Amino acid sequence: MEPWAAVLGLLGVLALGVLAVHALSRLLAPGPVLTVGPFLSGAPPREHALSRFHVRWYTVSLLFLAFDMEMVFMYPWALVVSEVGVGAVVEMFAFLGLLMTGVAYAWRQGALRWA
Amino acid sequence: MGEALVLLGAVGTLALCAAVFDAVLAVPGGGAGEPLRRVARLLLQQRRRTRLADTLLVRTGVCGLLAVAVLAGAVLPLGERPVAEMAVGVVWFNAMEVGAWGALWLVGWGVNSVYPLVGGYRFVAQGLAYELPHMFALITVALGAGSLRFADVVAAQRGLWFAVWMPVAFAVYLVSAVAMAFWGPMDGPVSDDICGGVPAELSGPDRLVFQAGRYALLVVVAAAAVPLFLGGGAGPLLPPWLWTALKTVAVLALLVWSGRVLPTVRMDLFTRLSWLVLIPATLLQLLVVSVVVL
Amino acid sequence: MGLSGWLAGFAAACPRPMVVTAPHGTRSRLLVEAELSRRGWRHAHAPSGTGLLVVCGTPADALSRAVEMVWTTVPAPGELVRLRGDAPPERVAAALDEAVVRLARPRSPGTDTGERTDVPMADRGPDRDGLTLDRLRVPLGPVLPDWPAGLVVETVLQGDVIQRARVEVAGGLGGERFWDAPWLAALEGREVTRGEAARRLAASHLDSLGRLLAVAGWPGASARARRLRDRLLWERQDQWVRRDFPGFARAVRRSRTLKWVLRDLPAARDPAPGGLVRRVGTWLDRTGLALRDLDDGRPLDDDEGPRGPVGGEPSRGLLAVLPELVTGADLAAARLVVAGLDPDLDQLRGARDG
Repeated sequence: MEPWAAVLGLLGVLALGVLAVHALSRLLAPGPVLTVGPFLSGAPPREHALSRFHVRWYTVSLLFLAFDMEMVFMYPWALVVSEVGVGAVVEMFAFLGLLMTGVAYAWRQGALRWA
Repeated sequence: MGEALVLLGAVGTLALCAAVFDAVLAVPGGGAGEPLRRVARLLLQQRRRTRLADTLLVRTGVCGLLAVAVLAGAVLPLGERPVAEMAVGVVWFNAMEVGAWGALWLVGWGVNSVYPLVGGYRFVAQGLAYELPHMFALITVALGAGSLRFADVVAAQRGLWFAVWMPVAFAVYLVSAVAMAFWGPMDGPVSDDICGGVPAELSGPDRLVFQAGRYALLVVVAAAAVPLFLGGGAGPLLPPWLWTALKTVAVLALLVWSGRVLPTVRMDLFTRLSWLVLIPATLLQLLVVSVVVL
Repeated sequence: MGLSGWLAGFAAACPRPMVVTAPHGTRSRLLVEAELSRRGWRHAHAPSGTGLLVVCGTPADALSRAVEMVWTTVPAPGELVRLRGDAPPERVAAALDEAVVRLARPRSPGTDTGERTDVPMADRGPDRDGLTLDRLRVPLGPVLPDWPAGLVVETVLQGDVIQRARVEVAGGLGGERFWDAPWLAALEGREVTRGEAARRLAASHLDSLGRLLAVAGWPGASARARRLRDRLLWERQDQWVRRDFPGFARAVRRSRTLKWVLRDLPAARDPAPGGLVRRVGTWLDRTGLALRDLDDGRPLDDDEGPRGPVGGEPSRGLLAVLPELVTGADLAAARLVVAGLDPDLDQLRGARDG
């Protein structure tokens, strides 16, 4: 089978399964949908939980992005190393070395410590 | 279509096995029946929604978790052939499991409750820490095999399992697998200290599908270790599908067990471990492998 | 209704109870936890996942309101079980049995709950770095698993970091101080042996360890601590406890992951070297010593309870330092710090409600 057909088939069967679970629940579970406040140890909410969450590790996400771009190139690189030879390895690891220098700098600046 | 059903059946069966094994570890001498009773309880449970929740986002996340787990499994060889044969199977696997980030965050954000919200963001932070070591481990395998196709990766291990000559990559893969399935010592996003975290407000069918997705993800990341590091279906006497199943069960049992014998690792600690130890270690492993394949 | 009736009976045998304890309800909490572990019922950590809300002790006003609020958010089929602080073991078992019978019977559920008033979006406030950020007011406790009975920490969160914390008490009726009882009885002139006091002390520390290990996300070790506690306190299997304890203590002491997870977390106002790691070691040491004295028949003549002199209400001091210790910590660290302090609100006299 073509990969896309297989993937679509899988998704279709999964969707049927999830629908079946919901149908069973509608059949078996009692009554209407219960609408409740969020669990706050027994207190009523004083504001919506949806808020601009203080993401204290935002510097880590920047560091991650730098590497993630790099990773996209590494998949094709892995396929051609044996053809291209020493040059490919030297170039890639020189680049990785630069990135790791960045990591070391970020670490010394305290970017990996937030608690 | 037959292979798709085999995959779903296998994932479902192994997920139930994992849940039963976990229940037996939790309640020694009993508890084996707990997972099925729990399924029954969730099917009978009144449906429930938090006030002003974004139901569409929540359902997308809940179903998305199950979907990405199964789609990631589509490229794994079930014995000899996968459901979807792709030349870039390893990349596909990687791309699918990252979908779990979105799924968890959507659920955590959508229910409008503080503990799930905290859990959702914990998983994003965890992702930023485990994903790079995970990808380096995958790339090390691809480099060793000279291919991104799972069948070629298995074939490349005919002489020697990658687990043997890439032990660091294998160990890091197992850590990242646990982190990806937010299981065991890496279960911060759903841990008890935030009242169950991401699924804390889910009940009935939503909770059931979420839990199914979580176990499916655990099964798939355990199963992926077999073609990536443990020689796939290769082995004496028994047919490939049975070897694949046996090896998968062994890895799965190890992952489930790790959840009971290790405390939960706090996110900031894991981030430092990942960036300062795991990434450099996988890079050294990558260097060794690239010198070998030259 | 044949299928759903059968399924209800099948599911009712594993109801995932959620346990709430009022101050002075410690005895019945311990009996409930022992009974649940005997039945192999695993705990729920939020109302959505539970089918059985168990209230131990008699809540006073604030806690009573909190329990009501939580109860209205439990989806059907669910049962509420109330146990008085002095409920005997047979009553505990019977109440759970009755709940299972009722759970297996389909009943009509509730629909909507709680007041419907609209709440505003989060307001903003300065954080520790001088940024202006959204903040949420989130109370930790009183209805919170693995949390000291009756404790409420009113927090202001930015992200998951606690910016401000204030301690309140949601009290309970009654006056029993379960963990201090042997020493209090001795002070009143009643005959108490050192062995009995040692048993209570060891069980108290095992209870604290069980809670800290549960919060730390180490379910295996937590269950083991609680099993030791139950066998020591209720089943009096002293030989078994003496045999099993050293292995447990060794496993906890040697766990490098636990040391790593607890590292840098304070156990007192003065950041003593070791912090929570040392607190765990102290609990283990004192439990080990107490286990040697279980058969000591001499009369008890000191007032050193599990948390210090029983006359001095040591938990009041713990509550006083708590806000300072959790401010600036994230939720994961704060929960560990509170579990490490483990104040016993049964000790607070005249603090029925905050």
